[in-house]
Amino acid sequence: MKQDNLSAEMTSGGFFSDFCRAVTKGDLFVKLSMLWMGAGYARRKQYIKAALMTLFEIAVIVFTVQFAMEYVPKFGGLGSVMPEKTFNIETMKNEFNDYDNSFQILLFSLFSFVVWITAAAVWMYNMVSVYRLQLMEEAGVRIRTFKEDLISFKEEKFHITLLALPVLGVVIFTVVPILLLILVAFTNYDQNHMPPGGLFTWVGFQNFISLFGGGGLTVSFGYAFVRVLGWTLVWAFFATITTYIGGIVLSLLLNSKKTRAPRLWRTLFIATIAVPQFVSLLLVRNFFANGGIVNTICANIGLTDFLRNIGLVSTSYIPFLSAPGWAHVMIILINIWIGVPYQMLIATGVLMNLPTEQLESARVDGANKFQIFQKITMPYMLFVTGPALVTDFVKNINNFNVIYLLTENVYTTTNQVMANSQAKEVDLLVTWLFRLTQDYYNYKMASAIGIIVFIICAVFTLIAFNRMIKGDKEGTYQ
Amino acid sequence: MKKMKDSRTSTIVLHNVLIAVLAVIWLVPIVWLLCTSFSAYSGMNTSTFFPEQWSAINYVKLFQPDSVSQFPRWFLNTFVIACFTCVISTMFVLMVAYATSMMRFPSRKPLMNIAVILNLFPGMLAMIAMYFTLKTFNLTNSYAGLIMVYSASSGLGYLIAKGFFDTVPRALCESARIDGCSEARIFFQMVLPLSQPIIVYTVISSFLVPWMDFVYAKMILNAGISSQYTVAVGLYQMLDRSLINNYFTQFCAGGVLVSIPISILFVIMQKFYVEGVTGGAVKG
Repeated sequence: MKQDNLSAEMTSGGFFSDFCRAVTKGDLFVKLSMLWMGAGYARRKQYIKAALMTLFEIAVIVFTVQFAMEYVPKFGGLGSVMPEKTFNIETMKNEFNDYDNSFQILLFSLFSFVVWITAAAVWMYNMVSVYRLQLMEEAGVRIRTFKEDLISFKEEKFHITLLALPVLGVVIFTVVPILLLILVAFTNYDQNHMPPGGLFTWVGFQNFISLFGGGGLTVSFGYAFVRVLGWTLVWAFFATITTYIGGIVLSLLLNSKKTRAPRLWRTLFIATIAVPQFVSLLLVRNFFANGGIVNTICANIGLTDFLRNIGLVSTSYIPFLSAPGWAHVMIILINIWIGVPYQMLIATGVLMNLPTEQLESARVDGANKFQIFQKITMPYMLFVTGPALVTDFVKNINNFNVIYLLTENVYTTTNQVMANSQAKEVDLLVTWLFRLTQDYYNYKMASAIGIIVFIICAVFTLIAFNRMIKGDKEGTYQ
Repeated sequence: MKKMKDSRTSTIVLHNVLIAVLAVIWLVPIVWLLCTSFSAYSGMNTSTFFPEQWSAINYVKLFQPDSVSQFPRWFLNTFVIACFTCVISTMFVLMVAYATSMMRFPSRKPLMNIAVILNLFPGMLAMIAMYFTLKTFNLTNSYAGLIMVYSASSGLGYLIAKGFFDTVPRALCESARIDGCSEARIFFQMVLPLSQPIIVYTVISSFLVPWMDFVYAKMILNAGISSQYTVAVGLYQMLDRSLINNYFTQFCAGGVLVSIPISILFVIMQKFYVEGVTGGAVKG
């Protein structure tokens, strides 16, 4: 009973009000814990915890003095000392001075901030739990031993045990990199400012201004950005819609009672997506190459001549993947080839769970097939697969594989303005940013593009989900 | 009466012919892959669909490594990476899924919302920064770095497994809790044995990641040392402009060899996916 009162008192407000109460109402040792994190525990005879907290505090202080102080003070200007080579007479070797590496300053400063934020959270949590110990002691409740505390990590605190490592992984390999590149978007980190040979510094919103067409010399970036963004959206729309509808149609065809040996057919279609994309797409790209087999066949049956006569083709081959227009259509068609069997699998799963009573009663009432499809099957499909449709759209905006594997080294742009910005007509924003970093070391623009991609995806998802999902359906089937 | 039956058979025939035509369209590139891999010529066959001379020489060459093609080595590399990735990712995914599905704690909703937002960032964006971070710690061109890239953030892909855990009857766990069962025991001894389909699905899908991935491997293993490559990077390198005429058919043979185990795993995974996700979710 007392324990309940205690926890009620402690969790009445949020974490912050708990913290404030601990600071204001705590006794001497709780207050001392602000300086020496182990003080409160030591007072309640929890010596192991006190030792652990002290060790943690020492570790943070050592980290700050030994490591963070070397980088964080330079964060404001990202370093100023250029590398200089001097010849050392004594060792007969070229030696470098103690120069600044802007990227290391950025990375390690960010790392220090993350460590400090974590340390601050631990520190606040420490205050709250020390104050709780004080309350428990005053109320005469038995304080748990260290062993019992450990056991609680497989009892009511099991979620902490479960989540610790995965969350750490996500923080180090997703959150920190994302924060890092958000910061890079506001610097001039590019080929002319490459550490260790050079330094880069903060430039504010300059990269975004040139991306949207401002900034004089870089007008071409604005043009390329609009073109690439336009194609990205067109591609994402058609890629999502065509495979979605194709998947439903194929699934209906295969699951119809008229189909003989449906499992055989289904396996055949799945075979095409079970082949890894880097094999199948690289293969298809050579299949449709300018001197490839399809072109030979088209030339033999006279299709190439026919297309040349009506003016669709000006070369001696059909530029399936090497001319604008042709390449755009082919990419969407090849994506249908890749994507429809996959959507067919999902649609099959959903269709198998169609509410059969409704279908039956509709049939009894004399509805024809088309009416049933329009009034029952389709709304049900949309309801179940609607969220997946949204995520598919976002995935297609970021669909790197299809575009890169089909067009890299095959498609060369003839548009000089696009070429100036290292973009091609068939690029998505993500393939463009990949090329900017891999081949041209233009990290500042790539980061700016990445942020724009994120904003597009986030806005689209938020709007779509808000319209589609009414309430939280999480508990429906529990 | 007879006439009506006739029209039915004819629609059935039409229906099946339509499916057959579609299947043929879908299989043409795959058949071409198979045929080309058995071509005696080492470049691309551009004049005829089927090779003019059949031979298994490409498969033999694949197992006689030269400076460009080291297929057995690549296969082994990818296998090792896949095993590590598989173990770590499966653990992470199941742990996160269980914690978010079966347990209730104050930071649950905020964590899940953050996961949704993080998933919206283009992976490529994080990848570039990750590359630099790995480079700073000297982890590029190493398998440890690649395994970390594949598995460290895998916890974010917990939603499918969570969807499955959501369907495990809550009353079962409640009664176990009342009987004094610890959360850890509920997880290991009750929920996991019940979740075989989703475990198999998670294991296979995370095992397949290194086999299917191309970009990350190409970015991390960029030193150009052929013996370090994974299958994807190695096969991509064979299609380099200067090599394609000597290695195209070997690429096809390698593609066939790597596709066979992947296809088998993929089909098994699909079976468990249907069982675990659609079968599980619509119990009501």
